[in-house]
Amino acid sequence: MGRYIIRRLLQAILLLFLLSLGMFLLLHLMPGGPVGVLFNPRQSGAVKAAITKQFGLDQPLIIQYFRWLGSALVGNFGYSFADYQPVLRIIGQRFPATLELFTYALLFALILAITLGMISAVRQGSITDYTLTSLSYFGISMPIFLFGLFAQYIFGVWLHWLPTSGTQTYGYTFDAFGQYLDHLSHLVLPMLVLSLTFIAGWSRYMRSSMIEVLKQDYIRTARAKGVGPVSLLIRHALRNAVIPLITVVALNFGQIAGGAAITEGIFGWPGMGSLFLASLDARDYPVLLAMLLLGAVLVIMFNLIADILYAVVDPRIRYS
Amino acid sequence: MDRSEQLSATQEEVEPFLELTPELVQQRRSQGRIIFDRFMRNRAAIVGAVFLVLLFLVCFVGPLIIRSDPNALNFSAASQGPSFKYLFGTDSLGRDELARVMAGGQVSLLVGLSSMVMAIIFGVGIGAFAGYFGGIVDNLLMRFTDVALAVPLYLLLFVLSAAITDHSPRTVIILIAAFGWTSVSRLVRGEFLTLREREFVLAARTIGAGNLRLMFRHILPNAAGPIIVSATLLVGTNIILESVLSYFNFGIAPPAASWGNLVGDGHDYFFSAPWLVFIPGLFIFLTALSFNLVGDGLRDALDPYMTER
Repeated sequence: MGRYIIRRLLQAILLLFLLSLGMFLLLHLMPGGPVGVLFNPRQSGAVKAAITKQFGLDQPLIIQYFRWLGSALVGNFGYSFADYQPVLRIIGQRFPATLELFTYALLFALILAITLGMISAVRQGSITDYTLTSLSYFGISMPIFLFGLFAQYIFGVWLHWLPTSGTQTYGYTFDAFGQYLDHLSHLVLPMLVLSLTFIAGWSRYMRSSMIEVLKQDYIRTARAKGVGPVSLLIRHALRNAVIPLITVVALNFGQIAGGAAITEGIFGWPGMGSLFLASLDARDYPVLLAMLLLGAVLVIMFNLIADILYAVVDPRIRYS
Repeated sequence: MDRSEQLSATQEEVEPFLELTPELVQQRRSQGRIIFDRFMRNRAAIVGAVFLVLLFLVCFVGPLIIRSDPNALNFSAASQGPSFKYLFGTDSLGRDELARVMAGGQVSLLVGLSSMVMAIIFGVGIGAFAGYFGGIVDNLLMRFTDVALAVPLYLLLFVLSAAITDHSPRTVIILIAAFGWTSVSRLVRGEFLTLREREFVLAARTIGAGNLRLMFRHILPNAAGPIIVSATLLVGTNIILESVLSYFNFGIAPPAASWGNLVGDGHDYFFSAPWLVFIPGLFIFLTALSFNLVGDGLRDALDPYMTER
């Protein structure tokens, strides 16, 4: 087990190195790359020379990459083109909001997907099952940005139930509890929107995995020994049925991150997704590169966790 | 009595039994007919297919009937709700939204279809070589797709399309295709890995078929089912990708219309003219839904292990 993890870690590091090199070259070689942002025709020759020297643009690209990588490894991702703040500090400021949205959306999506998937599996072929299947088609086919806009209009503009953007209501003073409730009400729509696509996909997955498990001999044995239906489902079947779902969730991480960026953009949630979209508009390459790398690190890490988790919870899998 | 006489004699005896009655003809169906029949039994897939046919008619034939310039400004008729004159209303510059939805549909469908074709060609090529030759080629190609899969796709797609300032349909098609081929190549590789061990491949090799001929004339047709299914689903995915990009102004650039940038334009007047968001939005959603329904219908119809109900 230890050796397996170490080998996977080494592979992950190699993959990450290749990815960072690829992304760096891609961004710098593209028409309108950093060079296109830093220079403009009104700058004098001296200014251009100074900028070239400051950003090391006179060096070959590969040298530039290793300089960037060297400082990135000690936590220095350079300075934002937009406001000259250190990249890491800007990203750090936005992290808590994203973490909050992410946690609530993920928990909500998991709980709902597992519950709905189980109901579908147990009542396989019933009207409930068909309804849930049809609904999941809608969920899978609905792009996140559209669902966000529709939800904004229906719940915010039309029904006046929920706020449509930001994290709090301005111009009101609340007590501590009221402020928390106000904040939660701002969270509801982005959370719903971000989790919808994943609920649809994951509940389908949970359904088929649960159906597989319910066919197994040990379930029949447990039933024969007199285990009640609820205990049978929760304590015996659910445990094994959830394993494949967890790996799928981990593997979907890249998509969740993309979805979060879109959701944050639409609901004005001041997290890393909004930062990402703003940096895109400003073509703030140091920030974008750092966020892409962070995304890649997380995707690879979650893949690794999925593999290890799979091996840990399912003793039949060998590490070879 | 020599052998040929013997044969003709038996043939004559057997002949009456082989006479094809209409009932027998009905039971003998070609492979294509079986698949078609199975597909026709899936009501959801039919609805999806019919919607897609209507959609193509509306987008490509519609503009020939309703001759309304999608880019003509008419400020005296700006921001009108849906009416008989303007079926989908007008936008803030008085452009006919119906004409724009039709023109945008052409772009969106074209981008979705052609990026699918590109992704399939690239994915099938890579997957075929990896699955057929195995060994080092397979290892290299699969590590390459590993790297491509580890990138947070959406984020990189956003960055690339924001950086490339040329927002023509061609650029968007290439970008989207560059992100769609990885799943196709994995699928094709898997199919080729199992198919290359089958007897018919050995038979073809024995009579002297070369590698390329084996790959593309003998193995590929046997892997057609899953490829067709994933191609169908990919069109829906690509149309969604295009609309997300265009919505955030990183895709098709105005004044050219696409469903995505129509939603983006409409968003500025969301509260006063919600139809400008809802109408193109519904088109995106229903198109993606239809491609998903048809894709799943094809999956069931093309699966030889699927029992006839």
